[in-house]
Amino acid sequence: MVNALYIIAAAMAAAFFLGLIKEDKRGLAYTVTLLALAFMTWVSAGWLWAFAVDGVLTVEIFTAGTEPPFAINLRMGLAEAALTLLVNLTGLLSAIYLKDTLLELGRRAMAVLLIATMALCGIILTRDAFNLFVFFELTVIATGGLILFSDANDDGRALSAGFKYLIVSQVISVFLLLGVLFAYHVTGTLNIDGMNGTQWALLNGGAIAFFMMFIAVVAELKPFPANGWALDIYESAHPAFSAIFSAASSAATVFALDKLLLIGGADWLPVATGVGILTFVASNLFALPQTNDRRLLGYSSIAQIGLVLTVLGQRDILGESTEFIAFGLLVSHSVAKAGLFWLSGLVAGRGLSDWSVIAKRPLLVFAFVTFICMLSGLPPFPGFYAKWDLVRLLASEGRLALLALILIGALIEAAYLFRWFGYIIKREAPAEAVVCVAHKVLPVFVAVFAGWALGFVWGELSGRANLLLAIPLLFALSFLLLDWLPAWVKNSIAIVGMSTFFYLTYPGYDPLQLIFAIIILVGGAITLLASYSAHGRRVGFYPSAMLMYAGLAMLIHATDTFGFFAAWEFLTIGSYFLILRGKESEPHALSYIIFSLGGAFMILAGFAIAADGSYHYLIESLRQLEQPVAPWVFAMLAIGFMTKTAAIGVHIWLPGAHAEAETDVSPMVSGILLKAGLYGMMVLLLTMGKQQLYGVELTHVLLWIAAITAFLGNLMAIFQEDAKRLLAYSSIGQMGYALFGLALMNHLGWLMALMFVINHYIYKSMLFLAVGGVAKRTGTRDMYKMGGLITLMPFSFVAVLIGIIAVSGVPPLSGFGGRWIFYNAILDSDYRLPMVVIFLAGPIAFLYLFRLIYAIFLGQLKDEFRQIKEAPFWIVLPQMIYVVLLLIFAVFPGIALRRVDEYLTRFFPEGGLGWATNQITSNYGYWNPVAIMITIGVIFCTLFAWLLFVNRKAQKVKQFNIVFSAERPFRPETTHFAWNFFAPYRKALGFMVQPFVTRFWGGLTELLHSTADFSRKLYNGNGQTYAFHFLAFVVVVFFMRLGV
Amino acid sequence: MAYLVMATGFILILIGFYGALTNRNLLRMIVAFTIANTGVHLVIVAIGYMHGRTAPIIDSAVAASDAVLRIIDPVPQALVLTAIVIGVGVTALMLAYAYKLYESKRTLDIGKFTELKW
Repeated sequence: MVNALYIIAAAMAAAFFLGLIKEDKRGLAYTVTLLALAFMTWVSAGWLWAFAVDGVLTVEIFTAGTEPPFAINLRMGLAEAALTLLVNLTGLLSAIYLKDTLLELGRRAMAVLLIATMALCGIILTRDAFNLFVFFELTVIATGGLILFSDANDDGRALSAGFKYLIVSQVISVFLLLGVLFAYHVTGTLNIDGMNGTQWALLNGGAIAFFMMFIAVVAELKPFPANGWALDIYESAHPAFSAIFSAASSAATVFALDKLLLIGGADWLPVATGVGILTFVASNLFALPQTNDRRLLGYSSIAQIGLVLTVLGQRDILGESTEFIAFGLLVSHSVAKAGLFWLSGLVAGRGLSDWSVIAKRPLLVFAFVTFICMLSGLPPFPGFYAKWDLVRLLASEGRLALLALILIGALIEAAYLFRWFGYIIKREAPAEAVVCVAHKVLPVFVAVFAGWALGFVWGELSGRANLLLAIPLLFALSFLLLDWLPAWVKNSIAIVGMSTFFYLTYPGYDPLQLIFAIIILVGGAITLLASYSAHGRRVGFYPSAMLMYAGLAMLIHATDTFGFFAAWEFLTIGSYFLILRGKESEPHALSYIIFSLGGAFMILAGFAIAADGSYHYLIESLRQLEQPVAPWVFAMLAIGFMTKTAAIGVHIWLPGAHAEAETDVSPMVSGILLKAGLYGMMVLLLTMGKQQLYGVELTHVLLWIAAITAFLGNLMAIFQEDAKRLLAYSSIGQMGYALFGLALMNHLGWLMALMFVINHYIYKSMLFLAVGGVAKRTGTRDMYKMGGLITLMPFSFVAVLIGIIAVSGVPPLSGFGGRWIFYNAILDSDYRLPMVVIFLAGPIAFLYLFRLIYAIFLGQLKDEFRQIKEAPFWIVLPQMIYVVLLLIFAVFPGIALRRVDEYLTRFFPEGGLGWATNQITSNYGYWNPVAIMITIGVIFCTLFAWLLFVNRKAQKVKQFNIVFSAERPFRPETTHFAWNFFAPYRKALGFMVQPFVTRFWGGLTELLHSTADFSRKLYNGNGQTYAFHFLAFVVVVFFMRLGV
Repeated sequence: MAYLVMATGFILILIGFYGALTNRNLLRMIVAFTIANTGVHLVIVAIGYMHGRTAPIIDSAVAASDAVLRIIDPVPQALVLTAIVIGVGVTALMLAYAYKLYESKRTLDIGKFTELKW
């Protein structure tokens, strides 16, 4: 191994050597700089390899040939190697990125860059307190120098930011220097490990000395509110420099603080936690109203480091996991933030929506997605593993308030990051193109690669199943590499892949899982048939869709809570990208991801509390939970799952998300994705069963929620003008029914819920495809603009007709079977009142279903639609498959339900059904599907024939055979019969569908925004105020820690 | 004696901070920080002082054999030199900034450099 001292020596030597090179030989100077940085990187990488792979032990490096405390010593261990590698690599890549700038500025700027990198390595390596001070001051000077050189816009803004930084760092250095010297005075040594050995911190004077060192290093981490200067630097400096400042400086300083905390001992951990969590939440909150990209990244950087500080402060309970968690969060932050800052240099405008220029470049979009997923702690990146363990351990020690704050902060961060992504994909791109030059793009993609590689490393280190080795996920990710193929090829690969996976895994499912597996894998493949109608390459569609399906498949296969949660996150991200593809879907996709992540955090916390610290926690073990934890876990998990099924109160994301999605995406996210929530509920109810919280039966509460969801979902559906929105609201109602069945907690209720699962998949996919096909042809989704399409689009008509018969639950189709079981189930239970509500929901469904078929297919054909054709073949084909499936399922419901019925007997022995050849009996009656089909068929044919007979002489009314009382209507469409179809009902029941819930969530968002907007005025831009903030921060922390 | 120096040092630090926080002129702020730094250096020297001992110079006056008992702690004295050097570096950098800032806006008022905020 090369002595780590050469990292410092090489930088110094190169910097001095630069002084000897003639000013005009800039190419040579630049080469020397790159070589030095590459050498430093190589040394660190060699050490990291030695520690991680060869198992070398930590090395002490003595300078001046003497052991400490008589000389400075450095230490090279695993952590030091990793961090110096991070610092040196960031320095090297930034130097590459800065090629033009450095060549223009000359050797002085290069020397400063070298010194900055060296000083940061010094902070990491040194074990001497005064040496730490020296390296900190070197960092300050080098940082100041770099800002001076790197005034990005040449407008002097970076200059003022740099000066503000110097003011604050002067104050900080006074504290650090005094602290180090007094610490030396008390302990007689400057060696950090030597100080650690003594109990001096208990002495009053020692505590003050330590406090001064501590607060100075904390201040370098930009704690709230003493961080205005850092934000200004992030906003104004050159992005390559901000990358160093955010990724490398923060990492080095965090490590320095970690060394100091070793001296301070357990007493100082709460201080670190307090400062950290306050910074995390406040900075994320303040980032919400930001419109400048780099300032937003600055807030996010500060927040992330706050979180790392919080983790360090929790060392007392995190124990040996501290490094795994802290490093997981730190490298996620560093890699992603460096990447994002580099990326920001490619974009000309500074507004968030100016980034939409990268939307045309799939690789850059992929880079951006990688970075925001890393920052949001999504799988398979290190932050995800870190977050999981952090939450697990916090929950097991009962630090729930801290846990809640962390999750709230993380949710806000994810919200503004994904909002930004929405802007990129959906907003109008400005005129300037992306500046894509090799030396600027290279660092970005090194960061992307590092992100994925680190995800793999953390997966290996975690001791759990490495997510990046999961077959479904690998299959989904492989579409990233195949994205250059035409869509139909990818579609075929996807269909074959999903079918094969189902074929291979088929024997392993129990009947319950099998139903979901069929819907997800086989059903998903059928839905994908519709995607053959798309042309071109359809970039981004298949990775997203397959990620969602991979998540769904992994969800069913999951046996432990970790796998379950990871799958849940995968399906959420995948479906988010899918939904975002719709034309107008930007706000809806955002509300979807926020609700989903919020729900996911509830699930995460619920699992963590249930696990009570155990490393591997099987979902089965939920069964053993007892009071008083059990009902809380139950409630949290149920709320999490209900955000996916869109129960009332958390349903507002669904209508927009499903309606605005592309034609073939709507059936995926409605027919298939919603089932994930139901699967979760089933798993939850099967394991935990009935729970009581303060004497309230929680399944009873669920019952009420479900009944109201069904009722209001249906009611809202009848007032929609937009056909896809109508179907979306109808899904809310349908999920209410299914949830109701589950919450009944009896045999028939569950059977009914499963019937709904199957039926809803078939008919909702079919209806969405049919309506989507019509919308594609007519160019509108408003039903009153359609009409009379029955003869032009006969197949779509048949699909909708069959669909609404099935949904409404009238005989002879399978919907009736569902209803029949449902009514039997209700008779079996004792909950009368919610039953009444859900009964009322039934007729309401008739109203919107009738409207659907009437307004679109019956009535008068509009002039402009006389030429339209049937929907494309590939959209009609799956519909026809569904029609056949519905008919088969209607006549032979036993093929699916019989096995499930037997399986359910294990959990609910009472009240199963009797299955004769073609007759199903319950305690209250029997149902003979074949007989019903024949009876209805005969009645239908008779009536139809009679109708044809009497209709012979009917006179055809021509379309313009209408008079508007000699007036031309102001808005012709409002005179259309189909417009505001159910006006009288709206008059009577409209008060129930006022957007209360939307207003509540809107108000909450507004409150957060205005709080943030008001509070960030704290950073008034004046350097003196920032210095004052720091002094006030010192005083407050002092009194909180020592003053009492 | 040592306590007097230390007290003076702290008073200088406070004067420096007060000056830096109340003067809006960049140059005055820099001078104020220099005063605070001087205070810090005094405090450091005072920390190393031991009553009744001599300077840590080992020559004919103090033999190496009994130096441990006769000289004051040399470490803070060595450190203060480093601190002074660093202080000079930072002050020079701040002056360079003040110069550049004055060039950009023709003013030295810190209150005029607040375009970056919130």
